[in-house]
Amino acid sequence: MNGTEFMTIRENADIKIIDVKTDLSSYAASDLRKVLEGLLSEKVNKVVVNFSEVNHINSTAVGTLVGIAKRLRQNDGDLKLCNLASTLTRTFNLIGASSVVEIYETEKSAIAAF
Amino acid sequence: MEKTYIELKVPSDVYYLESVRAFIGKLSETLKFPKKRIADIQLALDEICSNAVYHGSKCVTCGIQLRISVDPHALEIVVRDKGGKGPRDWLTPDKLAEIQAQRSPTGERGHGLYLIECLADVHTLQANAVGGTDVTAIFYRDGQTERG
Repeated sequence: MNGTEFMTIRENADIKIIDVKTDLSSYAASDLRKVLEGLLSEKVNKVVVNFSEVNHINSTAVGTLVGIAKRLRQNDGDLKLCNLASTLTRTFNLIGASSVVEIYETEKSAIAAF
Repeated sequence: MEKTYIELKVPSDVYYLESVRAFIGKLSETLKFPKKRIADIQLALDEICSNAVYHGSKCVTCGIQLRISVDPHALEIVVRDKGGKGPRDWLTPDKLAEIQAQRSPTGERGHGLYLIECLADVHTLQANAVGGTDVTAIFYRDGQTERG
């Protein structure tokens, strides 16, 4: 699975790292779902999503991440998020999704958590 | 400052919602809302418009209408859709309360209305005369506290 116009994929050992390069409203959320489901179909089970270039996320995108995290865990893997702006963390907290998806301050700490 | 109005009509396609979000962000900045409150307003409008596109539109050309009013005390946004393909029987206070009660933090869907409720100072939903829904969100300018 390659990235898209809005997302690129890197590797660190057996971990795939997605760099999101756009704000995640409903339009871009469908792109995020495609990329993550592509990785699932390739049997990837450890994924980090880097949000350093993201200023906005809506509930559709949060729901997508929650759903993918659950599916990765069923495959003995996980989804971890890093570099979230405070407004993004707040959205996760309001929804309650931060109890489902692990959020780390840095990419390094997210990778180390696997 | 008297009450002033801005009206926008947008195609029922999430592709255009980025522009709507950018517009309301710039307007909120002009009205001197604090930075975090601007993010709240943008997120609430994103959720309202996404719902209007997904659940309140039969086709792209149906469009959604935004009526934004500004006075010294508040920014008020009304988003009007023309109704989707499904029934509108969820639009009652009891049913809305039931939907909210069923929301799970670990669920993938159903967070939009809850977020709007958290972010706006006032939030109402009302059936409109054209078979759709009018969603109103008000953000007070006085005090301009950050919520949540």
